[in-house]
Amino acid sequence: MKCDEIKELMLDAAIGGQGVPGMNEHLLDCPACAGKLQEMRKTMALLDEWQAPEPSPYFDTRLAARMREERAKPERKSWFSWVRMPVLAGALALVLMMAGGVNWFTRSRTSSEVAGKAGPPPVPVVGTAVGDLQTLDKNEDLYANFDLLDDLQVQPDVDADQETP
Amino acid sequence: MDRGLLGMGSIGAQPAADTTALMGSAAGLTDAEVMLRVKAGDESAFEYLVQKYRRSMVGFMYRMSHNAAAAEDLAQEVFLRVYRSRSGYEASAKFTTWLYRIATNLAVNHARDTRNERPEKMASLDEPDQETGSTMDVADGSPTAEETILRRERMSAIRAKVQALPERQRVAVLMHKYQQMDYKQISEVLKLSESATKSLLFRAYETLREQLKEFL
Repeated sequence: MKCDEIKELMLDAAIGGQGVPGMNEHLLDCPACAGKLQEMRKTMALLDEWQAPEPSPYFDTRLAARMREERAKPERKSWFSWVRMPVLAGALALVLMMAGGVNWFTRSRTSSEVAGKAGPPPVPVVGTAVGDLQTLDKNEDLYANFDLLDDLQVQPDVDADQETP
Repeated sequence: MDRGLLGMGSIGAQPAADTTALMGSAAGLTDAEVMLRVKAGDESAFEYLVQKYRRSMVGFMYRMSHNAAAAEDLAQEVFLRVYRSRSGYEASAKFTTWLYRIATNLAVNHARDTRNERPEKMASLDEPDQETGSTMDVADGSPTAEETILRRERMSAIRAKVQALPERQRVAVLMHKYQQMDYKQISEVLKLSESATKSLLFRAYETLREQLKEFL
């Protein structure tokens, strides 16, 4: 057995575990490993000296008070507690499926419109920004005529003002 | 409500005698089974677990926090969290694994939060130990004042060296050395493989052996 192999077993040996065959023979032949094991045992014994205090007499009383407060609180539900309610979870799944279906239908329709460019030009949707701009663009001539009409209407007023004493 | 194992009141209401009876009635059950009774609303089953683990939990928290008062607060918080989590408890792992996972998370967070509040303390004859609250007894002859000082120095060194270990090594050593947990249990709490846990512990003890050499 080699020193590296002993290293892995040293911890168990130090805490009183049973040695494996060949370990003792190695320790007899290797003062370095034997010394290390001895120190490890002493370290374990030294660590045993660190004692923790017992719970104080007030531990149970304080815990009882905290437990009373805890029981008095309304039961808190976790964020995902609704997942455990089958009806709610089912309804949510249905809504998600419907939303997914609508989304898929809309996308497939849009892509088919893009694919069919050879057909008639798309009709602009009234009320959307693009639709309004397209409408304005088409009615350019009409608005030019409105400007002309405005000019015609202003002229008599101007003339009337001039006639006023 | 199911009064379960004993049909008794809440924690602290009827301590010693009832607890003894409780221990007897739950003797055939594993901790996980007792916890399942807590889940079902059995308050006395919860008290059984508190009585069974309060000492070890305070000890673990004391060695993690180095402060007796904080250790009790933290141990109580562990039990409160166990109680709060009772409805979601699944007996898929050992109860102690679950308990120590809660305790470790709490203790590590507490240690991080109070890292700068704990200056290194020197042993002093005049002041009481701030961790345990006990004063140093130097009046009688046994042990001698010198022995007491040496002992306190040793204690101080052990605490400091264990405290100085990397977080996971420290937790592993405390669970292995003072909570008598085996490699498998520690590996489950720390979510490591057994061989990694063994290696972690070996490195930790090697460091302690080197650093505490003067006291061996």
